[in-house]
Amino acid sequence: MTIGKKHVKPSKSLIHKTTHLMHDGMDGHAFGDFEMPPALGDARWTDELILSTWYMSATGKVPDDMNYKTGDSDGGFDKLDFKYLEEKEWLSQDNDIDTSIQLNRRGDERAKLAPPIPIYGGGMSYGSVSVNVMLARAHNAKNWGTYMSTGEGGYPEELYDLKDHVITQVATGYFGVEERSIQVAPIVEFKYAQGAKPGLGGHLLASKAGEEVAKMRGSVPFVSLFSPFPFHSTYSVEDHSKHIDWIQTINPDALISVKVSTPHDVDMVAVGSHYAGAHIIHLDGGFGGTGAAPEIAKKNIAMPIELAIPKVHKFLIKEGIRDKVTLIASGGIRTPDDIAKAIALGADGTVLGTSDLVAMGCTRCSNCEGGPSGRGCPWGLTTTDVELQEWVQLEWAVKRLDNYYTAVQWRLQDILRKLGLSDVKELVGRTDLLRYMAGEK
Amino acid sequence: MQLLNKSNEMSDMVGGVESSRMTMAEFAKRSRERADSYHRYQIDAKETVDRQALPNRFIVKVGKIGLAKLIAKEFIQYWGEWDVVFSRPCTYGVFSGPVGGFSPRPELCVGCLRCTVQHPDFVKVEHNPARVELGDKYLNSSIISTIDEEARKGTVPVRGQGYRGRFGGPGWDEMFTDMSEIVRPSRDGIHGRELISTVVDIGSKPMSLKFDDDGKLVSEAPKMISIQVPFIFDSPPSGILTSRLAKIWKEAAEQIDTLAMLPAEMVLSNNLASESVVPIISVDSTTRVDDFQSGTRMVELDRWDAMRFATASDIASDLIIGVRLPFKPGWQQHFEEMVDAGVTVIHFVADNHGNGDDGRFIMDMLLEAHNMLIDAGVRDKITLLNSGGVVAADHLPKAIICGLDAVCLDQPLLVAMQARLSGDLSSRGNYQAKMPRKYKDDWAIQRLVNLSCSWRDQMLEILGAMGIREVRRLRGEVGRAMWCSRLEEEAFSEIEGFMAGEKL
Repeated sequence: MTIGKKHVKPSKSLIHKTTHLMHDGMDGHAFGDFEMPPALGDARWTDELILSTWYMSATGKVPDDMNYKTGDSDGGFDKLDFKYLEEKEWLSQDNDIDTSIQLNRRGDERAKLAPPIPIYGGGMSYGSVSVNVMLARAHNAKNWGTYMSTGEGGYPEELYDLKDHVITQVATGYFGVEERSIQVAPIVEFKYAQGAKPGLGGHLLASKAGEEVAKMRGSVPFVSLFSPFPFHSTYSVEDHSKHIDWIQTINPDALISVKVSTPHDVDMVAVGSHYAGAHIIHLDGGFGGTGAAPEIAKKNIAMPIELAIPKVHKFLIKEGIRDKVTLIASGGIRTPDDIAKAIALGADGTVLGTSDLVAMGCTRCSNCEGGPSGRGCPWGLTTTDVELQEWVQLEWAVKRLDNYYTAVQWRLQDILRKLGLSDVKELVGRTDLLRYMAGEK
Repeated sequence: MQLLNKSNEMSDMVGGVESSRMTMAEFAKRSRERADSYHRYQIDAKETVDRQALPNRFIVKVGKIGLAKLIAKEFIQYWGEWDVVFSRPCTYGVFSGPVGGFSPRPELCVGCLRCTVQHPDFVKVEHNPARVELGDKYLNSSIISTIDEEARKGTVPVRGQGYRGRFGGPGWDEMFTDMSEIVRPSRDGIHGRELISTVVDIGSKPMSLKFDDDGKLVSEAPKMISIQVPFIFDSPPSGILTSRLAKIWKEAAEQIDTLAMLPAEMVLSNNLASESVVPIISVDSTTRVDDFQSGTRMVELDRWDAMRFATASDIASDLIIGVRLPFKPGWQQHFEEMVDAGVTVIHFVADNHGNGDDGRFIMDMLLEAHNMLIDAGVRDKITLLNSGGVVAADHLPKAIICGLDAVCLDQPLLVAMQARLSGDLSSRGNYQAKMPRKYKDDWAIQRLVNLSCSWRDQMLEILGAMGIREVRRLRGEVGRAMWCSRLEEEAFSEIEGFMAGEKL
């Protein structure tokens, strides 16, 4: 480990050399110029899913010769498919397919935010990712008219130029939470829990809590930072309501999102959050991404998002409030097909995190927390190491994300067209349009 | 110095009349001593290096001609910019040996694949078959690697990125543990300010206590052993167990305040009897319990025989006497007989894949046994243990949710000691273990202690997430578990083609 060791910012030539080799390599693999790396991929993110994401990020199109739709996990989204209409019944290419969603369905006076795609960017804090990665996601959010969450690590000054597309997250450690960053936010997100480590709070390992990160979080450099669990000021729905009142006093225009994980009573948590004043109920499933989490927490605590969405969707209908809640799903949503399936299961929209990172080169090697080098991601994504973070150049990263979202939207529209739907909102809860591939690979 | 008042309140605080005559300084000193004498249970883990390292995770192949060409090209292209020329596509040092990429160091490779993406023409990273093929389908390479890390560091494995495996079952993967979103003890408990207890009791608690008019206990007192962790070290198969291993088991068990179960002959011949050792006695020589009257708190009979159990109980009425019960067809009948006969510790034995002889997985069988005891109204009078099928930290809380009081471990302990296992690993007795060469006992003990520390800390994570302050409350708490197949049925039953139980 090299905790506290200072690495120097690389020279322009070194950045040029390294980034070109990386980018050429990613494209070459995505286009099939080289053999599939034999050590790439796992059951959730197969080699083809990773390379097809790189293909989409390079071209803005879906590939013809790779499975970009499903992984190999033998369950959940990977066992679901759509019941497409006969080809003659498909909507024509000339039809406009609306992929926008409403984020404020409460009918109150607050902004009627309606991103043109049913996607926004999940929280990844400064410290867990580099500032360039944050900025790239924020620029992409602006380009697409959608949003990106800060995660819990503060609000870097550079983000203020993009403030209309940045969600300020308030999490249990209150790291980096300032009045100013709440006042400018179109949406404030309370993070009660994270799918990859439900009930365990957050943990930024010492090696990644460098000087800039510590300054942003008001802490000491190279000391591990824990976000406790739960909010020590919230032990009931009434406390939760006070929390929301507090934010709304500071920013009366902001929409309120409540991010929770997926325990057995997630349906009741969702109802409680709605009555406490939330506009968005954000469910984060157990297969979600993380910069660092105990291995035992991943998958073993709380349920996968595929199982939580219909549970909450049906309960909200039963309670008569489904049309007042915007239900957002995250945690294990990898592909445009996953997004469409999540919506068919009952979500209004989805949040992407890991997919954004894969679009920018992530191979899911799981060394985000520092790895044996102690420096974080060797691709420059989940690191604040002064050398490594230069491997993600802002302009390139924004272009990659833009291409990826272009391909995602195209595929979403493709699915809707083949289902005879002209609006993604018509897909919400349409489990009758899904089929389960029992016994099929 | 002012004398303290003789108030009752103060007397109560310091514990008696004598203390009321103490000066303030004496009172402060005694209070400090009392405070200092408080010992919150913890396991002292420390990094313990490998003696028989696992095969490398990856094989790194570098084409030397391609590398030479690249170096020559970059020397010309970046002449004078030596930081550029000598930069390497690896932050982990795989290409930082004396001759760089000409002799890569695959032991440092973490599989980020940056090298092969950047230089696909001449760098290739592959999974190492020798690593992948470790273990079997149940105790697989991934679990062995995790145990190895846990035994080396004694910490909770933490990594980036999300889950990488299958969606749900079989086996323990069928179960998700629950968590509490709001109402719960704080995570601070895991980091020291609030205690989450992992103490479990082995033995019998009476369902009620009776006192006479003078307040003296007249009914039978609880007869049990409290251990600090919900797992016990079980004896390895006879073909693997040596005197040396038995001593290591005992020492490690003593260090973490649990129990080590070892064959009675081994205990006697090596003079290992102690409070932490549970001799396993053959039913055919039941009278041997008489050899363990001093220092030993519990013995086990290796199988059920009502007559012999009665004999042993008569001979050693002070000892807790457990009995092993294999999950063979019809085990329920023996189980009921044992309950009726007053056996207080029933130790189930499944195969190492957690299956009974009829192929049922222990998750179902343990729940069945637990519920049988509840139905009979005697759950707290009997301790349930199980050997076989728990090989990873997440299996431990799941087994307890299914009704166990504590889990017995043997194979994971051998893996922690970096033994190479071969043969039929599913069998309780027919596999082999090749131990590391030239290891020291202290090293082996510390590896077991580290594993215990890691598994206990992971148990704390699960308990913390659930908002449960002690592991005893987790026993049989099926309300804090979710079964994947049931959730799938609830979520997908309206979807065409879904058939409940398809994967089970």
